Order: sequence, then C-alpha cells, then structure tokens
Amino acid sequence: TNKAQAARKAALKGVHGKKEKKEHTSTTFRLPKTLRLARTPKYTRTATPRFAKLDQYSILRQPLNTETAMKKIEDNNTLVFLVDVRANKRHIKDAVKKLYDVDAAKINTLIRPDGVKKAYIRLPADVDALDVANKIGFI
Amino acid sequence: MRQSPLCSATKVKVSALHEKSQAELTQSLDQYKRELLDLKVQQVAGAGASKGSKIRDVRKNISRVLTVITRKNRDSVIAQYAGKKHIPKDLRAKKTRAIRRALTKHESTRRTVRQQKKDAHFAVRQYAIKA
Repeated sequence: TNKAQAARKAALKGVHGKKEKKEHTSTTFRLPKTLRLARTPKYTRTATPRFAKLDQYSILRQPLNTETAMKKIEDNNTLVFLVDVRANKRHIKDAVKKLYDVDAAKINTLIRPDGVKKAYIRLPADVDALDVANKIGFI
Repeated sequence: MRQSPLCSATKVKVSALHEKSQAELTQSLDQYKRELLDLKVQQVAGAGASKGSKIRDVRKNISRVLTVITRKNRDSVIAQYAGKKHIPKDLRAKKTRAIRRALTKHESTRRTVRQQKKDAHFAVRQYAIKA
C-alpha cells in the first residue's frame, strides 16, 4: 500500500506541487536570461549573394594628366587620380596596391565641385612617381 | 555595329562562356576589367584614335560574363531547392502583389458540404426551346 499511498498523495498534490519563492535582493525586476536560439532559415532570402560592386577596378576611375597633376608627379612624387565617390582612403590605398603594385605613403582626397572625388596618392621616396606613371601609361 | 579592323576588343561569344567553369569566368572577368582600366588610361593619355568603340565592347563583354556567372549561380540554387516547399523569394513567381495574395485555384473552388448539397439538389436548370 506504500505505492498506493504515494500515488494518492501525488494525485492530491497535483501537477504543480510546491513553488519555490525566490528571494529578491533588489526592488527592481530585471529581465531574466532566457534561451536564445540561433536562426535556422528554411530558405535563403536572396538566391545568390550580390558580388561586391566597389571592387578595385571601379574605385580608380582614371588618372589625371593636367598641368597641375604633372607638377605633382614631378615635384611631390604623387599621382593624381579620379576616384569613385564612395571610396575612402583605405579603399584607394588597397586598390592602388592591387592594380599597380605600389604602396602609397599617404593619400589625400577631396571632392571636386562637379561631384567627382580626386585622390592625391603620395608614393614613398624609394619609388619614382614618374616611372610609375609611365608604367601605367598615361604620360 | 561597325567594327574597325584594328579593334582588339572583340565581342565574346556567350556560348563560349557557358562552357567555362566559375573560376575561369571570374578570371576572364578580371581580365576584361583590367582591359577596361587600361583603355581608360589610354584615353586620358590621348593616344591615337578614340577608344570609344573598344571601351563599349569591353563594357558589354564584362556584362556578358557577369550575366553568365549569375545565370549559373541561380541555376545551381534553383536545382538545390527543386521540389522543396520554401524557396528563396527572388526565385518565386513575381506576378503582382495582389495575385500573390489572392486565393489559390484550390482554395477558391472549396465549397462547404451544405453548399455542395444545395448545388446537387437545387442546381440551376438549363432550358432549351424546341425548334
């Protein structure tokens, strides 16, 4: 009858049983930490991810060979490029490295009044800007 | 479109592109983009004849290669999701917003049992006049 007694007790007690009263040490109730599951999507939202539209080829648009730009090449060892407006100095440095295999010492940018970005790419002292310009082919 | 005999940038054939693998396609894409860059630099340098038609050809070649790449990617994704219930939204039929939200053919032909009985017993009679 032990089993029967235990069963009777459990039936009387019901499913919920005794609730433990939590001790709150503060007057504010903070959000309890709950289980957060990672997403497991049943389908990708777009079929194929878009390829990067601002790649090194679209950043450097064209070099400038105006008189002022030529002066920059000879005197200051810098190349002057027209550049995509969305490119920043880090993009430009990367692009120049990838396309023409030259490191840039520093880059200054400005946006021309006609909305086009101009980049002054200063080359390190051991590299001659004139040589690089000849290699690129716009002299 | 007239092509000058000295035109180095010829139109790439899409049938030739379809035979290439993904790696080869991205390689040729890089090659064309490089060509475009060089042409633009030459244009700035002002060397010789105008490069307009060459530049146009190279730009169109780039878009042809990109189209083939995207087409192949999409085809593989479509094959991957074939027969599944949920597919990516840009692979589903576009039609119009209203059509997508409308009742399906099956849903719109549903009748209650009550309605079925009515239709069976009290159908609209067809009459014809004997000539």
